Amino acid sequence: MKTPQSPHTPLGRTALAGLGAVILALTAACGSSGGSFGSSSSGGGNTDTGPLTVLIGSSGPAETAAVQAAAAAYTKRSGVKVTVIPAQNLQQQVSQGFASGKPADVFYLDTSTFQSYAKTGALYAYASKITDSGDFYPALTQSFTYNGTFYCVPKDWSTLGLAVNDADWSAAGLTASDVPATWDQLESVARKLTTGGRVGLTIASDHAGVDEFIYQNGGTLLSADKKTASFDSSQNTQALAFVKKLLGEGALKFPSALNAGWNGEAFGKNAAAMTIVGNWLDGAMKSDYPSVKYTVYPLPAGPSGAKATLSFTNCWGVPAKSAHRDAAVKLVDFLSSGTQQMTFAKAFGVMPSRQSVKDQWTAQFPADAAFLSGSSYAQPDLALAGGTQAISDYDSKVAQLASTDPATLLSNVQKNFEAVIQQNQ
Amino acid sequence: MTAGSSPADSAVRRSRRRHRGGGIRGHEAAAGWLFTAPAVLLLVLFLVVPILMAAWVSVSDWTGQGNPFSGAAHYVGTKNYSALLTRDGLAREDLMASLRNTLYYVLLVVPTQTALALFLAVVLNRRRLAGRGLFRTAYYFPSVTSSVAISVVFLFLFGGAGVVNTLLSDLGANGPTWFADSNGLIHLLLDKLGVHSAPAVLANYGLLGQSWWDWLSGPSVAMTVLIMLAVWTTSGTFMLMFLAALQNIPAEVEEAALIDGTSPWQRLRMVTLPLVRPTLFLVLTLGLIATWQVFDQVYIMSQGNPAKTTLTPAYLSYAVSFNDQQWGQGAAIAFILFAIIVVLTVLQRFVLRTREAVADE
Amino acid sequence: MSSQARRQAAATAAATTATAAAIAERGSATRRPKPYRPGQLSPRARAASYAALLLFALIYIFPFLIELGSSFKTDADAANNPLNPIPQHWTLAAFHELGQQDFPRWFANSAFVALSVTAGRLLFDSMAGYALARLRFRGRGALFSAIIAVLAVPGVVLMIPKFLVLNEFGIYDTYAGMIIPLVADAAGVFIMKQFFESIPRSVEEAARIDGAGVLRTFWSVVLPMARPALITLTVLSFQGSWNELSHFIVSRQSPQLNTLTSGVATLVSGQLGQGSQYPLKLAAALLMTIPVAVVFFIFQRHIVRGTQGAVKG
Repeated sequence: MKTPQSPHTPLGRTALAGLGAVILALTAACGSSGGSFGSSSSGGGNTDTGPLTVLIGSSGPAETAAVQAAAAAYTKRSGVKVTVIPAQNLQQQVSQGFASGKPADVFYLDTSTFQSYAKTGALYAYASKITDSGDFYPALTQSFTYNGTFYCVPKDWSTLGLAVNDADWSAAGLTASDVPATWDQLESVARKLTTGGRVGLTIASDHAGVDEFIYQNGGTLLSADKKTASFDSSQNTQALAFVKKLLGEGALKFPSALNAGWNGEAFGKNAAAMTIVGNWLDGAMKSDYPSVKYTVYPLPAGPSGAKATLSFTNCWGVPAKSAHRDAAVKLVDFLSSGTQQMTFAKAFGVMPSRQSVKDQWTAQFPADAAFLSGSSYAQPDLALAGGTQAISDYDSKVAQLASTDPATLLSNVQKNFEAVIQQNQ
Repeated sequence: MTAGSSPADSAVRRSRRRHRGGGIRGHEAAAGWLFTAPAVLLLVLFLVVPILMAAWVSVSDWTGQGNPFSGAAHYVGTKNYSALLTRDGLAREDLMASLRNTLYYVLLVVPTQTALALFLAVVLNRRRLAGRGLFRTAYYFPSVTSSVAISVVFLFLFGGAGVVNTLLSDLGANGPTWFADSNGLIHLLLDKLGVHSAPAVLANYGLLGQSWWDWLSGPSVAMTVLIMLAVWTTSGTFMLMFLAALQNIPAEVEEAALIDGTSPWQRLRMVTLPLVRPTLFLVLTLGLIATWQVFDQVYIMSQGNPAKTTLTPAYLSYAVSFNDQQWGQGAAIAFILFAIIVVLTVLQRFVLRTREAVADE
Repeated sequence: MSSQARRQAAATAAATTATAAAIAERGSATRRPKPYRPGQLSPRARAASYAALLLFALIYIFPFLIELGSSFKTDADAANNPLNPIPQHWTLAAFHELGQQDFPRWFANSAFVALSVTAGRLLFDSMAGYALARLRFRGRGALFSAIIAVLAVPGVVLMIPKFLVLNEFGIYDTYAGMIIPLVADAAGVFIMKQFFESIPRSVEEAARIDGAGVLRTFWSVVLPMARPALITLTVLSFQGSWNELSHFIVSRQSPQLNTLTSGVATLVSGQLGQGSQYPLKLAAALLMTIPVAVVFFIFQRHIVRGTQGAVKG
C-alpha cells in the first residue's frame, strides 16, 4: 500500500494554494461588488466626470475604431472618461444591464427594442436637450417617439437601394436606360441577368427583404399609433406573391441558397448580379471585394407607381435611472453633431441623421446619392413594443416564402402581431 | 444521477457496516456539521435559492426593470405557463418547435453515440492490438475540449464552402449550405419519393399549434450538424465506460464460448452484449438526460436559426428572458424543461433499479 | 450536449472510478478476473478492424489537424483551401491579432477562475465527503439524500435563476459571482464520499488513538490517502470550469471579465464575428484547448486506469 505520510506532498501544497485562491477570490468579490463599472458613484450636475460607458453593436472593426476615436476626442475636450464596449449580443447585454440595475450609460438602441423599453419606462427622454433637435429627419424622429414624446436621437441611418454589378450589367447588354423603374422591369432584368450559376437578384431572407415591396404596392404593416396591424391585406399578399414568383422563376434567390451568409456577400462574390441592400454594403465591399465595381440605384416603384424604401436606424439610448444621466446626454450631444456624424460616415459608410449635413454628405459620397434620394419616401423599419418574437417569427416565415402560400403566411403573421398589440393595451 | 446504484457502491455499503466502531460522539457531530457546512451552504445559496427565486419570477410579470422581489413584479398566476402550454400563440409555437427539434436531436444522438461508443470499445478491446493507447486517446480527446472551441471548428468544417463541402465536391457531390438549410430530413426524403408538399391531412391538422406535417419534419439539415457534433464529442466518454465494462468480463467466458465454436458475431451478440447490458443502460439514460439540455452549440453556432429549426428549450428560455425581456416566460420554460428532465431521471432510476435487482441475484 | 451535462456524465463515471482506483491502490487488483479480450481473428477480420479503427481515428483527429493548420494560414488561404491542413504561406498573423485583442486577459481570467474553482471544490468536497462518509451526526442521511436530489437539477435550467440570485447578492459581474457558484458541486461531494467509504478505517483509528483531533486526522492522514480521488476531482473540476460557458454568460457583463469561452464566443457569434476570419477564430480555439489537453495528457493514465476498473459488469 502506498500512503504518503507527510502533508507536504504536492497535493497538500495544492490544497493550501487552493485555500489561498478562494480567499483571494472572496477578497476580489468584496473589492468589486459595489459595481464594477457604470453607475457606481453618483455625480450628477455639472461636475460629473464619469466615467461613462458606451455599449455599441458594432458592424465591424472600422465602426468600433471610429466610435473609440470619437470617445477619445470627447475625453480630451471635456475631461470625462469614456469607455466604448463593443457588444457581442447588443440586445442581450442591454437587457442584462437593465435587469441587473447596471445599464451602460449610453447604448445603441434599435427601433423595435426602443418601443419595448420606452413602454416599461426604462429610457430617459432626453432628445429635447440636444442641440437643434428639430434637425433630424422626421421619419427618424418618428421612429424614436413613444406616446408623443421624442426620446432619444438617431445616431445615423440607412435606406435600401438597388445595387447592380457593373460587369454583369454590361455583359448582359444592358445600358443605363434599362435601370428598372417598375416591378415588371425589375423582373425582366433579373431574368436577363440570371445565367449559369448566377442569379439576377438576391434580397435579405427576412422582413427587411420584402417589406419594401409591400410599401411599394401601397400596403402597410402597422398603423402609426401601433394599435392596428394590417399584414394580411390584399396589397401585402400581392407584394409577397410577386417576390414568390421571382423565387419560383429562379431569377431571385435568398443568400443561403447562394452559399452566402447575407445578401451583400452573395453580391460581392457575384453569385447574384443585383441586390436590394442598405448602405452598409459599401464598407463590406471595400474590405472584402474591393475589385468588384457596382452602382446603386433607387428602388423601382410598385405597379401603381408608389415609391418606397425602408429606413433603418439606431438611437443613442440613455437609461432613465443612471447617476451619469446628464453627462451621458452631453456625450450624445457631441456624438450626434453634424460634424461628428460626417466623421462616422467617412469611417463606416452610414448616412447622417441630421438634415443640415445632407448636402455635405451628397458632395462627399456622390455614388451613394441613390440611398439618400429615398429619404422622402422611406418607411420606418417594423417596430412594436414586445414584438421581438413576432418579428423574428415573421423573418423565419419570409425565409420559407418559396414553399409557403403568401396569404397563409401573412395571416399567421397578422395573428401574432394582433396578439402583441392586445397585450400592449 | 446514479447515486447509490452501482454495484461498487453496494459493496462499499457492506464494508462500512463491518467497520463501524468507536469515536467521541459530540465532537464528531460538531465536526460533521462544520465539515459539511461550506459545501451545503454553497449548494443552498446557488442551487436551492435560485430555484425558489425563479419559481416566483415564473408566475410574475417582471420585465427586467427594477428588483423583481420588491415591487417591480406582480403576481400573474399561471399566465406564463398557459401562454406556453395551452393558449394558441407564438409563445407556444416556439416552445413546441424547440421540443420537436430537441426530440429529433435526442432520437438521433443517443442511439448513434451509444452504438458508436460500443463499437469502438469492442474493436479496441481485441487482443494483440497495436496502438491501443493511441486510438483510445484519439477517440477520447474531443470529449475533453470545450464546446466553444469545438463549435468554432465545426463552423469552419460545415461552412458553405468549408471543409466538408470541399471534400464532397472532390467526390463529385454537392453539399448543402449546412447552417442555412432549414429543410427537415424526413421532408427531404419524402421530396425524393415524390411528395413535394404537405398532404392536406397532415397540413390541416396538428397538435399544440404545430401541424402534423411540421411535427414530422425530421431534424433540419442545420440540426444534423449539431447532432454530428454531439456524437463526435460524447462517444469518447461513453467508449471509456464500455471499455471498462468489457475488461471486467472474465476470460473464462470467452474460452467457453470459443469451445462452443461460435463466430465472432455470435460471441458479440450472445456473450458480450448481455454482459455489458448494465453499462448500456447507464450510457443510454445519461445520454438521454444530457441531450435535452443542449445550449452551448446553439448559442454559438446557430442561435436557433434557420427557421427556428435549431431552437432548443434551453436556448429559448435564455433568449426569451435576455433578448425579449419576458423573464416570467423564460423562467417558466426553464421549469417545463426541468419537469421533462425530472421525468426522464425518474425513468432512469426505475431502469437502474431493475438493473440493480438483476445484479444482486 | 451542454458542458454541464457532459460534466455530469463524466462525474458519474468518475464516482465509480475513484472507488475502483482506491481498490486498485490497496492492491486488491488481484481479485479482478483476467479481462476478456477476444482474439483469434482471421487475418481479414483483423485487417478490417484496423481499417475501421484508423478511419475513425482520422474522423476524430482530422478536425484538430485542420484547426491547428488553419490557424497558421492567411484568411484567403483558409477560405480557398479549407481541406488542406498545411498552410501555403505560414503566418502568425492570427496569433498577433489575438494578442492585440483581449485574448491574454481572457486567458488569465479563465486560468484564475478555473484554478480557484478547482481549489475550492477540492477543499469543500473532500471535507463534506469525509463528514458524510465517516463522521456520525444527526441529519447525515437526510443531508446526503438532499445532495443526491440536488444532483438531479440540470445546470442549464439554472441559468436565469443564477443570474437573479447573483444580482440579488450584489456579486453579479464580479469574479466572486463567476467563481463561487461553480464551487457548489454536489457531484464532487458524492465522489469524495464514495471514495472515503472505500478506504479502511484502521489508519484513521491509529491516528485517533495517538490523540489527533478530527481536523488533524482529516488533514494529515485522510487527505493524503485520498490522492486518487483528489486527482479525479482536480481533472473534472479544472476541465469543467475551464470549458464552462453558460455560467459566464449570465454571471458577468463587463468585457474585462470575459473568460476564454465567453470571449471566443464573442469572436464567433457576435456582431464582431462578421466576415470570416477563420484563422483568427481557429487560433483562439486552438489556444484555449491547450491547457485542458495538457491536463488530459498528464492525468490520462489515471483517468483511463480509473475508468477501467470502474464499471463492473
